[in-house]
Amino acid sequence: MSKSSPRRRFGGKSTGTVTVIEARVHRSSARNAKVAFVLTAIIVGGLAAVVATSYLHPIVALLLGGLIGVTTGAFVWLLVRVWPVIRLLWWWSTEILLAVVLLTGWVQLANHTSTLVTLVVVAVLVGVPAGIPKLRRLVIAWSWCLIVRHRLRVCFAQFIIASQSGSLPLILWATPTPVGERVWVYLRPGLSAKDLEGRLDKIAVTCHASTVLIERASEGNAAYVRFDIKRREVLNARVNSPLVDVIDPSAPASASPLTVPTALDLPDVEVPTVTLPTQAKPAGKKSAPTTTANGSKPAASSADADDDVSDWI
Amino acid sequence: MTTTIPATTTAAAVPVGAGLSMFDPVFIGIDEFGQPVYLDVVYHNLLAAGEPGGGKSGLVNNICGHGVLCDNTRLVLFDAKLVELGPWRDLADAFVGPDIDYGIDTLRRLLVVATNRYTWLLANRRRKLGPDDGMTVILTVIDELAMYSTVLGSKAQQEEFSTLLRGLVSLGRACGMPVVAATQRPSWDIIPASLRDLFGYRAAFRCTSLNSSNIILGQGWAEQGYTASDIAPTNQGAAYLLAEGGMPRRIKAAYLTDTDIYNIADYAAWTRTPTRTTGLPDMGLAA
Ligand SMILES: Nc1ncnc2c1ncn2[C@@H]1O[C@H](COP(=O)(O)OP(=O)(O)OP(=O)(O)O)[C@@H](O)[C@H]1O
Ligand SMILES: [Mg+2]
Repeated sequence: MSKSSPRRRFGGKSTGTVTVIEARVHRSSARNAKVAFVLTAIIVGGLAAVVATSYLHPIVALLLGGLIGVTTGAFVWLLVRVWPVIRLLWWWSTEILLAVVLLTGWVQLANHTSTLVTLVVVAVLVGVPAGIPKLRRLVIAWSWCLIVRHRLRVCFAQFIIASQSGSLPLILWATPTPVGERVWVYLRPGLSAKDLEGRLDKIAVTCHASTVLIERASEGNAAYVRFDIKRREVLNARVNSPLVDVIDPSAPASASPLTVPTALDLPDVEVPTVTLPTQAKPAGKKSAPTTTANGSKPAASSADADDDVSDWI
Repeated sequence: MTTTIPATTTAAAVPVGAGLSMFDPVFIGIDEFGQPVYLDVVYHNLLAAGEPGGGKSGLVNNICGHGVLCDNTRLVLFDAKLVELGPWRDLADAFVGPDIDYGIDTLRRLLVVATNRYTWLLANRRRKLGPDDGMTVILTVIDELAMYSTVLGSKAQQEEFSTLLRGLVSLGRACGMPVVAATQRPSWDIIPASLRDLFGYRAAFRCTSLNSSNIILGQGWAEQGYTASDIAPTNQGAAYLLAEGGMPRRIKAAYLTDTDIYNIADYAAWTRTPTRTTGLPDMGLAA
């Protein structure tokens, strides 16, 4: 199901190979730009002309309107044409920003200090996060957040194309969780959380993760979903209770006296005490004190206890 | 033979209560994303079930530990196994061991309180008890419920116990008397289905089959992939929790070691105002 829908969609017009799809997308981008140009020019030009007629002679107003319309149209045409590039820049904006900051920092440092100082500063900047485990894990976790957004985009672009125009869901921000990352995504028309549920295993593979879960992030808007990418298992660890921290362990011990039976072994218990089979079973399974504390109770039907045990066999 | 643990000399510190309230969310563990999981125990009943050694008593002890450190909270404990809830016995208003008569009497007592509370609420034009009412929360905790409903006592007593418990579970929610129960398998021959279905929160610890998991969480969850039979037998304390959100969540219950439990119990005994009632007063309620 996951593979067939894109194939069917493109199958009619092309052979379905990757290059043809891209050519098609390219063509549609050129056509879209043309349509956008014409529409913007007509609408903006018309409006501008209408407004201008109340100040100028109608013919001058018409010319001015045409000029304004063509200028805005050209601007919109350009925007639509370079949109793929802008989108690409936006996708890599964090990385570009990071690279710029790092490079500028490096160049400034190299220009203003001696080589030795430069090396020492770099060694400290790299060595301290690498040496302190907590910091190192933080850096790695946030790096995964950057990576995983790109991987998710690959998923959407490669095998979850949903809408006719091939527009991708908006991949919003990502934060680290103790098990991996959590990414918020705003779906575009043509996709739903239910659709994606069937492909979580493939998404996990693409994200180099163990499993991926999807959940709605908003009660009121089905387009707003959350991906939970799991790389580690936390449920195997022991969890401590915060109650231990609110108490003062030096509190004086207190306990009421207990009557402890002395018959702690089988020979110590007289035969008549355990005449009833149903009582003997739980008493043997639990602890010896039960026998004496409960010695006088009437029996339940033995079938009950047998069922109880056999349920687990 | 009677052994008494000698009380050590009073510590230098002044007893200060932990300042918790039963109306606070109760921490019970973490979910699969490492986020803490809290339960609103006052307004919900909790049923924990799963195979022996799954970690049910561990979960129940977390709730007891929270309960004893709370202001204005009374505990009523049922534990046929004695050791699981035994550490809290001095802090509880009633501690029922393997004695079904005492258990039935205690449940009757609780039901009378519940009915009286509803009359009080009616007189005060209210439908639900709130944290500002100054009324105590009476937390009833039952470990190994099956012992009372199938093993101890006569058939008639077991049925009476189940009926009374059903009454408490259905009445207790809105009047500050929640019930937390643990049992190995809540199938109809152990607990009547009508009683099982009254528990709003379910925790399914490891089970051996899809069917057992469905019995705990409710029909149909195993088919959707939520089955406690896929929990590793070595991963004790892991469970599927069905609470808020409507979907079972994988959780790991927090674990209190014996030392932790006794430390908490000692501290609670040290700080609690002795408002506890002891012994079973004559209720004058013959069956
Ligand atoms: N949350 C937990 N984390 C780690 N270990 C746990 C946890 N809960 C339980 N265990 C381990 O599992 C053992 C059995 O747990 P527990 O007594 O709670 O099981 P149970 O379900 O109550 O069993 P039974 O049905 O026999 O009463 C404990 O002794 C402890 O070692
Ligand atoms: Mg137990």
